[in-house]
Amino acid sequence: MQKEHQIIKEVYAAKKDAKKADELIRAYLPYIRSETSKCISRLCTEQDDEFSIGMIAFHEAILGYEKEKGAFLPYASLLIRSRLIDYQRKEARHRGHLSLDAEQGEDQHTLMDELTDGNDCYEEAMTREATRQEIEELAAVMKKFGVSFSDVADHSPKQQRTLEACQAAIRYAAENSRLLDELLQTKKLPMAQLVQGSGVERKTLERHRKYILAMLLIQTNGYEMIRGHLRHVLKQKGGMRA
Amino acid sequence: MKYVVMECSLSYAVVLDEAGRFLKVANLHYEVGQTVTDVIEMKIPEKHTGSEKGKARGWIYSIAAAAACLALVFSMLFQGGAAPYASVYLTINPEVRIDINQKDMVVGLDGINPDGDDLIEGYRYRKKPLDQVMDELMDRAIEMGYLYEGGQITLTLDAEDDQWIVSHSKSLTEHLNDYLKEKISVTIEIENTRTINQEIIIPVAPETAAPETTAPETTVPETTAPAEGDSDYGADSGQSDYGQSDYGAEPEDDGQSDYGAEPEDDGQSDYGAEPEEDGQSDYEEDGGSDYEEEEEDDD
Repeated sequence: MQKEHQIIKEVYAAKKDAKKADELIRAYLPYIRSETSKCISRLCTEQDDEFSIGMIAFHEAILGYEKEKGAFLPYASLLIRSRLIDYQRKEARHRGHLSLDAEQGEDQHTLMDELTDGNDCYEEAMTREATRQEIEELAAVMKKFGVSFSDVADHSPKQQRTLEACQAAIRYAAENSRLLDELLQTKKLPMAQLVQGSGVERKTLERHRKYILAMLLIQTNGYEMIRGHLRHVLKQKGGMRA
Repeated sequence: MKYVVMECSLSYAVVLDEAGRFLKVANLHYEVGQTVTDVIEMKIPEKHTGSEKGKARGWIYSIAAAAACLALVFSMLFQGGAAPYASVYLTINPEVRIDINQKDMVVGLDGINPDGDDLIEGYRYRKKPLDQVMDELMDRAIEMGYLYEGGQITLTLDAEDDQWIVSHSKSLTEHLNDYLKEKISVTIEIENTRTINQEIIIPVAPETAAPETTAPETTVPETTAPAEGDSDYGADSGQSDYGQSDYGAEPEDDGQSDYGAEPEDDGQSDYGAEPEEDGQSDYEEDGGSDYEEEEEDDD
């Protein structure tokens, strides 16, 4: 009984604090693993995708738990099981397809080896490394603003319409580099000008303040790789101009 | 859709999709900077706001249920007022059915035969009391020539409530008598569908109404048996006793059909039977053979 109270307290603390959530998950890793093993009816290792899914399901359970509705661990176990079933259904669609990474015959060659040569592999690694550096830089700048990628993900627009509204504001800022400079200097979002310039409702922008901030930072100099990834958003901008 | 992995933590990774959305996904051993294609997005279950919404919705459901019950009760109450409670079948030659509610207001009017349809065509019965509708239908019938001097009106009352039938058979007749007195003299019959063989015949305009015209259906000689008269409505005026069929019966009758029976009859059918017979039908044995013999004679 006392134990149950303890875990409820921990779960409620973890709801608000990402660090505590991390600790809680770490403490329950064996539990997650055993639940996952039970569900996939084989021993689960740390390397299995299923284990990762079990973990994220546990995290979802932390966020979604309500003590009025019953004990935490059965709830977590239920979520883990249902997420794993979802995953297995999704995977079942690919059954019967050849994996690029599967070994072919005796010579330990994989299809991927045949498709791509060493050069590409090297290039890919380079790209990945460059992107990683960019992201780390961006994370450092965002830290100065007191924002992490997790926060941004939590405040990212979910509805298509909201996303488009935010994109309009971001595009407006990208066209007016003055705004971006102002942002870097004052460390404040030029909200009033964004509202005026893009015609998006202030409430919408306020609600996704952290997201807008991250996206505007990406539009400042030096994040070529990330901007390349987001070229669809920029392309739309060109379309609107024409 | 491609995703760039932005941040990796123990239980999830943050990725950026091409539309500029940041998502929390399952961390399938991703590394920062990696581009991935298939992700398993984190579905954060609805939290307190959601449950409150659910509770609010629960309230709405219970209120809606209560409202529905009230509506049902009210509609039933009003239905009780509007639904036909009794019907009056008015037969002259045109035959119509008048549906009325408990307050004697007319709620429906139907023609039963084509003449009936004619009679009520274009007639507005709504929100009129039964008496008024009757009067107006009489006027129309006279106007259209269905009802004439010496004609006959049959009213058949149909209702669940016997009390209603009794009270209305009287009041309706009186009312129609009063109404038609100065216009025309007709005969009004009242029938009750549930005990249809008990016919109430009330002559109006006594100076013209002879017994023969009042009861055209009764082709019976006036042989009433007052002792057993269970249905002797208006027996004084020489009516028949339906329910008995004692055509040519003798006073000490037993209620059986006794055509040609002898006084010491046993109550069986005795066509051509001999007095000392056993009470069975002897038709086959005697009459049958006689008949054949006759045929042979013809040949």
